[in-house]
Amino acid sequence: MSTTAILARQSRWSTFRKETLRAVTAIAVALLVTIIVVLLTSKAPLEALNTLLTAPASKPRTIGLWFDDVAKLTVTGLAFSLVFQARQFALGVQGQIYVGALASSYVALSPIGPTFAAIPLGIAAAMLAGAAWGFIPGLAKAKLGANEIVSSLMLNYIAIELCNFLVRVQLRERPGVLTSLKFPDAAVFPPLIPGTRIDLGLILALVATVLVWFALYRTSWGLKLRLVGHNARFAEYAGIKSSLIMVSAMTAAGALGGMLGAMFVQGQTYGKITVLFEGGLAFEGILVAIVARSRPLAVPVVAIFYGYLRQGAQLMNIRTDVPAEVIGVVTAIIILLVSSSFSMPGKKWLSAQFGRRAQPAGLSADGAAK
Amino acid sequence: MIELFATIMSSAFFVTVIRTTTPLLLATLGGLIADLSGALNVALEGQMLVGCLTAVIVSVYAPWYVAVLAGLAAGAVLGLVMAIFALRLKADIILVGFAINIMAAGGTVFALAMATGGDKGTSINLASKAIPPVDLSFLGVIPGIGPLLVSLLSGHSVLSWIAAFLVFAIWYFLYRMPWGLWLRGVGEYPAAPEAAGIPVNAVRAWSLVVSGALAGLGGAQLAMFNYVGFARDMTAGRGFIALGAVLLGARHPVGALLAALLFGAFEGLAVVMPGLFADAPAELIRMIPFVVTILALMLFSYRAQRALKLRGVKSA
Repeated sequence: MSTTAILARQSRWSTFRKETLRAVTAIAVALLVTIIVVLLTSKAPLEALNTLLTAPASKPRTIGLWFDDVAKLTVTGLAFSLVFQARQFALGVQGQIYVGALASSYVALSPIGPTFAAIPLGIAAAMLAGAAWGFIPGLAKAKLGANEIVSSLMLNYIAIELCNFLVRVQLRERPGVLTSLKFPDAAVFPPLIPGTRIDLGLILALVATVLVWFALYRTSWGLKLRLVGHNARFAEYAGIKSSLIMVSAMTAAGALGGMLGAMFVQGQTYGKITVLFEGGLAFEGILVAIVARSRPLAVPVVAIFYGYLRQGAQLMNIRTDVPAEVIGVVTAIIILLVSSSFSMPGKKWLSAQFGRRAQPAGLSADGAAK
Repeated sequence: MIELFATIMSSAFFVTVIRTTTPLLLATLGGLIADLSGALNVALEGQMLVGCLTAVIVSVYAPWYVAVLAGLAAGAVLGLVMAIFALRLKADIILVGFAINIMAAGGTVFALAMATGGDKGTSINLASKAIPPVDLSFLGVIPGIGPLLVSLLSGHSVLSWIAAFLVFAIWYFLYRMPWGLWLRGVGEYPAAPEAAGIPVNAVRAWSLVVSGALAGLGGAQLAMFNYVGFARDMTAGRGFIALGAVLLGARHPVGALLAALLFGAFEGLAVVMPGLFADAPAELIRMIPFVVTILALMLFSYRAQRALKLRGVKSA
């Protein structure tokens, strides 16, 4: 093995260690805050904490709920990873989920619904719709310079209202009900383990993980995308059409978001479309992508841990007096800590004691030039 | 159609538009200050939402003006949190902003449930107060236009008047005071003010604090005048619309005012249209402000890009 390869491996290993340490610290801090909040607010804090920490793994049913969450968190995490790696802050996964779900619902409720083609066509339609929804802000950014954050967020609201409207007017089961008819059995993802909500979606999520990893790290498109994300101007000088890469990254992420929509409505959980079915899951992908440092292979791992926490909070909500919304605070703390370059208190002192070179202390000066 | 026209031309609609515009305008001005200092404040939505809840809860125990100030302070604190994480700890400001939005969306529901004893939807059980409308009915004694003046100017929230004044004050601050020049310089090209000895990060931090305070004030108006009480996610994207309005208003206070008025008018329209047309789908009407934002954003970005090209600057 050559020296460079060894060095590369060493640096990769130390990066991995540093990132893991950072993620673990952030999660520990977040858990500590949760514990304090629960202790302060609950009448039976120990029961609440016990539910939060052990309930998701206690029964096959709850394990099913957990892994259903993991699959969905993985896909939204991948979608955010793709755009974050291109350094685009498109936040449109939520809207893509809604349009994707609408598209797959139209397929499932059409004459195709009862046939074997319902699942593949439903997923394909959802991906197309999601890709279109991701393409719009991408194109507006590349051609017109329109801020992708604002436009993608606006498209989220448009998609939600569109879904509300179509479900109320066209897809409803009967007047006054805000859900559609049950999809035909052939249009609902088959469960992998009978009696749980673990379904085809989990496989889709794993396939998507591998595909995104392959696209990002083993194709020239991925290399270009990462270059554009690293330094768009440099990429431009290197002859890469950065706007084309940006648009394609946002479109691909949109396809993932659309697929997630199909996973929602065609999955075991629903098997029909309702209004506001997504429940804010899309934005959890930001957390997953950040903690995973936008690395596709790390996304499912983060999703497993975070999905556990989410299900724990849901069960705590049902069984005890602590609302599940406490998880929002936890999410925010993790995002803040992981995305910032915090160092543990006393680290400088420690490294001084052990004779290592301390971090240079010019924090405030160089941040301004960014 | 004639009814719609008559409604829009009526003074009642004007009052509605002022009411719907005020929170948007306050948030837009907040977004403007942060944006000019070079820090995009995507947390406006969360800051507004926390401002709403803080104002409502404080108003149960204190007079309305204390509650309004509490809403303002809550927004300012969130702005400070943003500044600490983004400037001191070098986190990406957009991620920090989103973390604050997520915290606000969950945290307000959590805090609401704690404050009301389990109700996670609305603060209907809390006896919260409202901002009293400013009564200008003495203008009615002016002969001729008196009644018109009263119907147009009387009955607005104090904060509407403050917001209108702030447009002027912020314009004066930005374009007529040295600190405003610093702020714009920091946003335009940080290396130059840095070399001139201006504390770049301090300017940005203050901008974020003021930005959060204005968003919090907008939240107080929303929860203590437009609606009295708190409901989960009651800001419903207004913070993001404000972000669009900043860009749409050419990053200028007067532009911000016009953009906020545009969105306020559409929101007002969404309020009155279902009453006029029974079969008009409410969802599609609620969609209008968002569609308008996107179209306006695209149009404006296109014009800005063309202007740059005409000046011979190659866009990055």
